[in-house]
Amino acid sequence: MNVGVAHSEVNPNTRVMNSRGIWLAYLLLTTALHVVLLSIPFLSVPVVWTLTNVIHNLAMYLFLHTVKGTPFETPDQGKARLLTHWEQMDYGVQFTASRKFLTISPIDTCEHKTCYFYTKYDTAHFVVNTGSLLSVLLPKLPQFHGVRLFGINKY
Amino acid sequence: MTQNSASKLLNGDALHRTKQDKKAGGNGFVKNRCLFQQKRCRRPAEKNHHASCTLLYKKPFVESFEETPLLVAVLTYIGYGILTIFGYLRDFLRDWKFEKCHLAREREEQKDFVPLYQDFENFYTRNLYMRIRDNWNRPICSIPGAKMDLVERVTPDYNWTFEHTGNVLKDVINMGSYNYLGFAENTGTCADAASECTVKYGVGVSSTRQEIGNLDKHEELEKLVARFLGVESSMAFGMGFATNSMNIPALTGKGCLILSDELNHASLVLGARLSGSTIRVFKHNNMQSLEKLLRDAIVHGQPRTHRPWKKILVLVEGIYSMEGSIVRLPEVIALKKKYKAYLYLDEAHSIGALGPRGRGVVDYFGLDPSDVDIMMGTFTKSFGAAGGYIGGKKELIDYLCLHSHSAVHATSMSPPITQQIITSMKCIMGEDGTTLGQERLCQLSENTTYFRRRLHEMGFIIYGNNDSPVVPLMLYMPAKIGAFGREMLKRNIGTVVVGFPATPIIESRARFCVSAAHTREMLDKALNAISEVGDLLQLKYSRKNRNGSEGTDCFSFLESHQD
Repeated sequence: MNVGVAHSEVNPNTRVMNSRGIWLAYLLLTTALHVVLLSIPFLSVPVVWTLTNVIHNLAMYLFLHTVKGTPFETPDQGKARLLTHWEQMDYGVQFTASRKFLTISPIDTCEHKTCYFYTKYDTAHFVVNTGSLLSVLLPKLPQFHGVRLFGINKY
Repeated sequence: MTQNSASKLLNGDALHRTKQDKKAGGNGFVKNRCLFQQKRCRRPAEKNHHASCTLLYKKPFVESFEETPLLVAVLTYIGYGILTIFGYLRDFLRDWKFEKCHLAREREEQKDFVPLYQDFENFYTRNLYMRIRDNWNRPICSIPGAKMDLVERVTPDYNWTFEHTGNVLKDVINMGSYNYLGFAENTGTCADAASECTVKYGVGVSSTRQEIGNLDKHEELEKLVARFLGVESSMAFGMGFATNSMNIPALTGKGCLILSDELNHASLVLGARLSGSTIRVFKHNNMQSLEKLLRDAIVHGQPRTHRPWKKILVLVEGIYSMEGSIVRLPEVIALKKKYKAYLYLDEAHSIGALGPRGRGVVDYFGLDPSDVDIMMGTFTKSFGAAGGYIGGKKELIDYLCLHSHSAVHATSMSPPITQQIITSMKCIMGEDGTTLGQERLCQLSENTTYFRRRLHEMGFIIYGNNDSPVVPLMLYMPAKIGAFGREMLKRNIGTVVVGFPATPIIESRARFCVSAAHTREMLDKALNAISEVGDLLQLKYSRKNRNGSEGTDCFSFLESHQD
């Protein structure tokens, strides 16, 4: 079971976010996280929403923008070794459907509801949520493709 | 509406053709002159476009790739997610020495150097592949015929090391070998002829084809292969993979264009890359995609200079071994003739396995072999030997004799193997005086139809064409890959399972290769075991109509319309 033996797809990682049902799986997972947090008794509703937002953005930052390379050897001699999963998606083509979906989803599902409604416009919550949202939106911009600030995560 | 159902019969998948007449665009100028247009409107199609596609196909071309059920896809992702989390956990434990580490590590003195290995690239191998590794590389200690003997292995440390117990699992039904016509045997005319040849010529050739390694057996084989395929001349090479990877560089170079199918084999991909030509990939078996690529290529020319291409080569395979689909050869040939491209057909799995006379996919569709410019194939699958061949016009083969890397640098085919191919090919052609070849061909096609029909009726999702002896059965979830392989072995049936990253992430499968050597009772035994395992693992995902054939469907449909 090696990469490239059954098809000419050089890096299967590029196609994962386009596969059937993965958007649904992602949404279900976020909803599940939210429901689990909601069932903890001592957390109030605004705190739960902020926690969902923060944990979701943290996980997204970790898996899409921190982990580099592929978990398997690819036949292209390691072109993608220094690229994060976001940069590998669709071989670097910007503004594809999956990229747009993953950019909009933290804004829409988490930020829209928490910031503007459930936290009742509280300042502290607003700051935390916006900070967390920015941390996950900035790396997705095309201008940040391949950019490593201060040399963090370069190699 | 009956037209629609008729069109579904002819083309089992959703490939519709609109009228071949030109459609006037908004400002009156004609837009699409394509041979095969994309489906535009859902009006019932008229009769004249059926004429264009029915003329190309002499019998119904039924292929199905049923879509993954959404629930199964979501569960598969969750499965991979859990495995990833556990993988990270185990890596953490290994790093902090809570768990014994079986991997190759650098020496203590070199810990501060630049690392030799990238740990993450091995993540999949050590955390997913190792867990189910006992399904692959199983040692076989008999001929890989319809039944085989496997060496029994046990593992004391969860597949990191294996020990042989000394027992042998006897008579395991072999559903994984590419033994389509059953020539993998050690008794019979083929084996006798091969042993005589070994006595006379020895085993090794000790030279390349161009130097001293050109035996009279090779010349005999090449003439026979040319007669078998219906081409002017042919050339045989010692290794099937090397035939593709060493000859495509000799045929194309810089300034040429290669259009290759999405799911082409690694040998074709390697050959295309080694040649240095521009490679463009079209969607699997999708003729609109191929036509669009051809048109764009011819209109725009080479990438920066816009000069015309030196040549355009279309690479397709006869049967795709991971999907079980058959190439749409009549349409490919029509396109190639219209746009004046060359066609390279790799018949690795289809030669000897398809067609009423066993001459491969060209015979299956009833086409003229001289339409295909380069016919390539291997002797590994249906002939029970090893090696590959290329067939075509005499000028082509003479050119390859001088310029192919394989002919110049690689050792030629071993004599007993050559004799095995000669004997088996004569058997298939009926020239040895018996009807054994014809019987085997009929047996293979009966077995294929029976096997596919029964699996479909049981409710499994099967990919591919109804006539292809390669049957991929979808498993989807990563745990089921291992479970299926092991459960089948418990029931004494050996199968091949494949998962990510060799296949797309959700489409892991078990691949069965039907053989003419399988008797009806062996297939029944295998099918019962598959059904049992399918119930145990809940693999019967199909939601299509399972009862009866399409004939019944059409009939009931027409019946209801007569009211």
